[in-house]
Amino acid sequence: MKIKILLRGTLTKYFEGDKERIAEIPDSCTAEEALKLVGIDWTKIDNFGFVAINGMRAMIYDKLKDGDELKAYSKISGG
Amino acid sequence: MGNVKRLRFTKQKCIGCQLCGQVCSATHEGAFVPSKARVFIETYYDKGGDLKYKDSYCNLCGICFKNCPTGAISMDDKILVDHDVCIGCGTCAAKCPRKVVRLREEKSYICDTCNGDPMCVKVCPQGALIFE
Amino acid sequence: MLGYQNKVLRIDLSKKTAKTEPLRMDWAEKYIGSKGLTIKYLYEELKPGIDPLSEDNKLIFMTGPMTGTTVPCSGKLSVAGKSPATGTICDCSIGGHAALRIKYAGYDAIIIEGALNKPGYLLIEDDNISFEDGSELWGKGCHETEAILIDKYDHDYSVLTIGPAGETLSGMACITSDYYRQAGRGGMGSVMGSKNLKAVVVKGTGKVEIPNIVDAVKRIAEIEREDTLLEDNTFVFDLGTTAFLEACQDGGILPYKNFSDTTDENWTEYNGDVLMEKLAGKRGCGSCGLGCGNFLKIGDAICEGPEYETIAAFGPNAGNRDPEAIVKANQVADDMGLDTISAGDVLNWAMEMTEKGIYDFGIHFGEMDKYIEYLKMMAKGEGIGKELAMGVKKLAEKYGGSDFAMHVKGLEYPQYEPRGSWGMSLAYAVSDRGACHMRAYAPNEEVFAASIPPYTPEGKGELVFNLAQFNAVKFSLCICDFWATLSMDTMAELMTLVTGKEWTADDMAEVGTRVINIARAFNQREGFTAKDDTAPKRIFNDALKNGPAAGQKIPEEAFEDMKQQYYAVMGWNADGTLPDSLIATL
Repeated sequence: MKIKILLRGTLTKYFEGDKERIAEIPDSCTAEEALKLVGIDWTKIDNFGFVAINGMRAMIYDKLKDGDELKAYSKISGG
Repeated sequence: MGNVKRLRFTKQKCIGCQLCGQVCSATHEGAFVPSKARVFIETYYDKGGDLKYKDSYCNLCGICFKNCPTGAISMDDKILVDHDVCIGCGTCAAKCPRKVVRLREEKSYICDTCNGDPMCVKVCPQGALIFE
Repeated sequence: MLGYQNKVLRIDLSKKTAKTEPLRMDWAEKYIGSKGLTIKYLYEELKPGIDPLSEDNKLIFMTGPMTGTTVPCSGKLSVAGKSPATGTICDCSIGGHAALRIKYAGYDAIIIEGALNKPGYLLIEDDNISFEDGSELWGKGCHETEAILIDKYDHDYSVLTIGPAGETLSGMACITSDYYRQAGRGGMGSVMGSKNLKAVVVKGTGKVEIPNIVDAVKRIAEIEREDTLLEDNTFVFDLGTTAFLEACQDGGILPYKNFSDTTDENWTEYNGDVLMEKLAGKRGCGSCGLGCGNFLKIGDAICEGPEYETIAAFGPNAGNRDPEAIVKANQVADDMGLDTISAGDVLNWAMEMTEKGIYDFGIHFGEMDKYIEYLKMMAKGEGIGKELAMGVKKLAEKYGGSDFAMHVKGLEYPQYEPRGSWGMSLAYAVSDRGACHMRAYAPNEEVFAASIPPYTPEGKGELVFNLAQFNAVKFSLCICDFWATLSMDTMAELMTLVTGKEWTADDMAEVGTRVINIARAFNQREGFTAKDDTAPKRIFNDALKNGPAAGQKIPEEAFEDMKQQYYAVMGWNADGTLPDSLIATL
């Protein structure tokens, strides 16, 4: 299936500065797995924040569907 | 003199933190006392409506050196003032086009580029001040 | 310890005297400076039960040992007193350059007591102090006041001023400096106003000394490069706090129409991309390494900002999506000297009251021209503004609608929906000055994190403790929140470099805990207990309808459980009070 992956904050470096890319992923792929396929292993990134699917916060192990938008944020703190 | 490095300032990068003046005074005066620095850069809001920059830094133009009547000022790739020779006449300060040369207690204080490795450049967080 | 000036300037406005005294170094060893030390001074010097708007209250401006040094992000100034809005202790943190000028003038702190018999301002030029006539300035906005005073003196003076809101003694009055920086919450502007003190003008040409300064500044510059200037922190230069808008929208904690729901499908109309297109300059505070200030010009609105809180309060929470209106309202609030969080929440509550037909305040969601007029009326105490200036707690007591009067202890809610971040409801409830997001910023761990569930009470007591302890010590060094990656170890190293005394990460943690405790002890002495650590009933009763937190509301038992977890971690009694043995250590 095809999904769009968007990156925010300091994560854009993993796309060489691009903010988004289309990715080809297998069925029943989780957010975690999809990110791994494009070279982002969240467990190894200290300031990895959270993910959102179609504009809504999701858990890293949630499953994706065809045409979904997966957004990954780096941590931001403050107020 | 070939490629002499000079301080260069890009005002759009300056955030007005004044770390330059603080570290200059720390390095030369033994305390954080920016009123006694050899670089004076600040930003301010003019009546709240416009962001303005005041920048006063030595770019090695050499006018002070050329006009010093006693020879107290020497210059190669940096400027040095010999306080034993300086009589505090104030000619250097009066002629400085950047208004960065100051007199204190009848002696002239001029940026010496920290012997070729300026501290102000090291602490400038946005690279507004560079040395090249 | 070095770093300090070892001098406090004590001003008695009633007698018009200015005296200096040594800093209580024994207290500084326990509380360091800024937040912690100022609360200790107020704890020791204020009698319980005083009226915050009387001559008995004191206003303290307090720096830290690192103020005036090249430690990055050390340019904030603590401003504290007993809050007219809540009756609790209230310490604020203001940016700009005033902290440095006070320190270079030779003072660790300025303690202001008594009251002037007519409007005036304080002029401090190193060790020359004078009481100047302020009658021409009284009634003027913060911006005009600052322009007049800077014109009279010069740009190397800092001006701390109140606007009409402080003069009319509103609980939402702030103190402004550098035009666009505020000591925002809890009505500190009214403490100044009640003392007839329009402004404090300060210039400092002196010095700050630390041991082995030449080596120390080199090491500090290294820390700046290796830690402060990490991209995890520098995002505030690129976007400022507008970065929070998208994250809160996706995270489901962006408040909508007076916290009646979350998320706003129109968020892209006023987001960071839209606002930053109008950038006319960047600015930071004194000694800042990051430069979060976005100077914007949009239409005829000019502002350094708006910060996330203001965007949310004047945007989706007001049912508004016009970015120019947000910036205009921000500019007006800044000029009036009004806290945007509290003023926004009050107006948004008034809109809900009007639309529900409970009481007609004459304003509906999205009516931004009226909003801006109302802000001016609130600051000046005119018309309906006089009522609205009471704050949402007193308004609800008078008119009803208390279920959705979003405050704790009388301080209005910051713009993060706790039903989407349960730990935040606890953080708001137990914060020392009423609902505040700067004591424990729970969303950072609960919402903006990949695997921690936000909709549960589990572990939230410890979470809020860890966050609160960290910020308590960080704000006592006086280092800005935005140096997010700063660790206890680095704080200890900086303290050691600046003071010449050995400090460890454990010492830092101890100070953090102690500061939370002394703030709580102050409030306890004023009669606050667990019953005052509350949440508005909306949080318990109304389930969210939109966004990732749809369906969420916090069961009251879960809320009480989180409170008990926190009290247990702090070593407090079940009724939220400190045991005598703990108070004795403070």
